[in-house]
Amino acid sequence: MNANDVIESYVADVAALLPRKQRNDVAFELRALLNEELQAKAETDGRGVDAARAIELLHAFGRPADVAARYRPTLTVIDPADGYRFLQATIIGMAIIWGVGLLMPLWQPIDSAGDFLRALGQWWGTTVIPSLWWPGLLVVGFGVAAWTRRRWPQTSEWKPRAHNQSAGSPVARAMGLVGIVFGVYILVDPHWLLDVFWGGRAAPSAYEALTYTDRVLHRQAPFLLALILLNIPLFIAIIVTGRRSVLVQRSETVLSLAMCAAIVWTVLDGPILMAPASEQTAKFFLVLIVVFTLIDVGIKLYRSVKPAPNLPIEA
Amino acid sequence: MCYMGDPDAFSKLELELRRGVVVLATLSQLCAPRYGYELRQALAEKGMPIEEGTLYPLLRRLETQGLLKSEWKIEDGPPRRYYSLNADGQKLLKQLTEAWQSMNDALNLLLKEAEHERE
Repeated sequence: MNANDVIESYVADVAALLPRKQRNDVAFELRALLNEELQAKAETDGRGVDAARAIELLHAFGRPADVAARYRPTLTVIDPADGYRFLQATIIGMAIIWGVGLLMPLWQPIDSAGDFLRALGQWWGTTVIPSLWWPGLLVVGFGVAAWTRRRWPQTSEWKPRAHNQSAGSPVARAMGLVGIVFGVYILVDPHWLLDVFWGGRAAPSAYEALTYTDRVLHRQAPFLLALILLNIPLFIAIIVTGRRSVLVQRSETVLSLAMCAAIVWTVLDGPILMAPASEQTAKFFLVLIVVFTLIDVGIKLYRSVKPAPNLPIEA
Repeated sequence: MCYMGDPDAFSKLELELRRGVVVLATLSQLCAPRYGYELRQALAEKGMPIEEGTLYPLLRRLETQGLLKSEWKIEDGPPRRYYSLNADGQKLLKQLTEAWQSMNDALNLLLKEAEHERE
């Protein structure tokens, strides 16, 4: 391979990455310029023109993909400003998906090393590989957000907001309180739903599916109910004041963690509902509630800001 | 005075400074038609060397942006593409020159103050 072949190969690689309409013209110009550069360098240092000299020149010129990219306007899919948030969301999301996915195969009895390896294989095939939907979804989401910001910059203008202000109008917050009370009633007496929709004529198996076991009713139910009811005064305080005071915020965190602990205790302690199918569904949703609550608490802690100097202030 | 800290940091920051003036330097040399290699030589001789891998694609980008006009010509050697400013390029050069001079004046003032304080 001589110097000419090296340059031809390089130019072809660059041109192949360019839009078709400018490809040939750029290739013709680039080849002429590279030959001229090579000739000039060879004359300057007194060495002849050979393949090694050409490769040296082209290494300095840059990878064909980099050079081709410089010929086109910069294309940004994810804004550099979103880079860290994208990476963070990818890592946290993947960790949760992989963690939850790992619980399922490990939940089944494992009696031997073979069972363990099979569980890992199952996890790899059913969780790890399919989990790539998550970064894909994030790329699309961040990409659309970046495009929207560029297309309609006014939509992403920063607006001041009180950090402790509660979301929604007073009416919406009052409706939220009604929703909580209603939800508590359904949790206490789930048969009520069947009576309302089927007029008390639902199949006995439907009633069985929504019947709590005695163990739950005697052990966890009083704690769970108390923890849920404790949310009501907090909600009323928010409705009345229109903001989340520091005390309310701290109380919410403590209640959330206590609720997570109570749910984990409930899930691990034994059956919750009489029918196995509804039992499995209920436990699945309880675990989801715990996971999302812990994520929410974690995010709030991570995002909390307490302005303070990290060096002593000199008077 | 020489920066004695992280040499990598110095080269990165110097590169940033250079990037900021590459377009202005290039436009300033294209009042008369020039082809890529000739332009690079002209810039290097005046103390503004720009890597070929940066300059040649830049000429195409500026042309795509409607700031340069170009034509293929054969003078003494192979066919070459000559670039020069069009009307929009000339206007932009004028605006960028004014902006640069204003920044340069401000920076000179700041650096002089900093030098006095160091002394």
